[in-house]
Order: sequence, then structure tokens, then C-alpha cells
Amino acid sequence: MSGSAGTVVLELTRIEAVHLRGLVGQFVDLLAETADADTDPAVARLVPSAYPDDDASAAEFRSLTQSDLLRRRADDAGAVLADLAMAGDVSDPQELRPEDALSEVVIVLDRDRTSAWLRTLAAVRLVLASRLGITSEDDRDADDPRFGVYEWLGYRLDGLTVAASVDD
Amino acid sequence: MTPLSTPDIAEDLDLLGVPTLDADWQTVVWNDPVNLMSYVVHVFRSYFGYSAAEANRLMLGVHNDGHAVVAEGLREQMELHAQAMHDYGLWATVRKAPAA
Repeated sequence: MSGSAGTVVLELTRIEAVHLRGLVGQFVDLLAETADADTDPAVARLVPSAYPDDDASAAEFRSLTQSDLLRRRADDAGAVLADLAMAGDVSDPQELRPEDALSEVVIVLDRDRTSAWLRTLAAVRLVLASRLGITSEDDRDADDPRFGVYEWLGYRLDGLTVAASVDD
Repeated sequence: MTPLSTPDIAEDLDLLGVPTLDADWQTVVWNDPVNLMSYVVHVFRSYFGYSAAEANRLMLGVHNDGHAVVAEGLREQMELHAQAMHDYGLWATVRKAPAA
């Protein structure tokens, strides 16, 4: 999965790309719909307090950084969606023909784009973890398919991390 | 030739007791059950430019001790680092260095 000169060649199956596009799209919608991060613990996790023991400093830090942080999450996610859109025009898993589902999609990422992907996959995992109520590394529910999605995102994030670290 | 000075040991000790006023702030990264160990190492390497060994040591500190001090210095700089860690989804805080 590694490339040359700081680029990463990401290989996904088409069915993965379609699902990832759906997930990241939901993430963008969530950011757009959440005016106040305090109202949603998953969004709040993306902008944690820098001063948990100092309310005044925490409020000042948050007023200076929060909207920029959330805008950058949306920008990163938008870049990921653009890369996925380039890789295939199917956005609904139901429209995918079975014979195409396992065909390969190749996405080439430069260093900045790789970082945008890493931050987005990490942020989407944080949101999923919040929705799933994950509070320890051992929290798993084999009967809940969302845990499978969470594990799969972790697998892809780990692979992209390893590929991005080759040139460090 | 400069004669060897005779240090005033008591005064030196006093100086050591005075805290640095503006450069003893810390950026601290805290453990969470979601972020991957490989990812945390990558963030420490790519953002701070730490060696693989140092980034790994800090990641293990976060994982095993619950937190690690990833940078020390001016408060404004530590806030920039914390913001960068938040960009990567890591749980970072800023604090004044605890008294040794």
C-alpha cells in the first residue's frame, strides 16, 4: 500500500469504497447539522476541553479553536469524499452489481491528502465509538453489525497509518 | 587567564528554586479506548518530528500510564500543540508543569 515520494496508494474494494462514502457523507451531515457541539457527545469528542480543571481557560481556548477545528474536519471529510467520488460513481450499495462489489478501486494520495484521510477515518471512528458507547478497549458486541463497521474502519486506518509511516 | 570563581552555593540553590515564569507549560495526551497505537505513534512522529523510538515511548506512556507529556514550553505553543492533537482526534490538554 505504500508508494514513492510521500505518496500512498490505497487499494479498496468497490463495496468498501461505497460504504466508506456513505459513512463519511453521514459524518459531513452530522457536522453541518450540529450547531452546538455540546448538544452531541460524539461531536463534543472532536473538540475536547484543553483545560478540564480551569473553566475560564477552557472557554477561551474553545472560543478560539472550536469552529476552526470542526471546519477542518468538514474540509478533510470533503477531500475524502472527492477522492471516493473520483474512484467510482456508485453511491448506493444496493446499486452495486455483485460482480463489481469485489473489484478493486485504487486511490493515490499525496502527503497532505493522506493526512486528511487519516484524520477523517480517526474522527469517524470516534463518532462511531461514541454512538456505540465504547468506553474501554474491550467493549465489543458481536451481535451488533455496527461493531463490524467500527473494526473495519480501524483495520483500514491502521493500514493507511503503516503506509504513511514508511517514508517518515 | 581568568581566575576560578568561588561559587556561592547557597545563592545557586535559591536560583534553582525559582520557577521559569513562562516556559513551564505542558501539552499532555490522555489515553482513550478508540485511537489505535500505530496511529498515535504516527501522529507523534509526523507532527512533532519525534524519532520512532521516542514516539513509541510516549505512546506507551499514554497507553500504560493513562497520559504522557508530549511537549513542554511556552503556554501559547502548548495550546497550538493541543489544537493540532485535537485535529488528529487525540485527547490533549494544556497544564502548568506540576512542581517537581
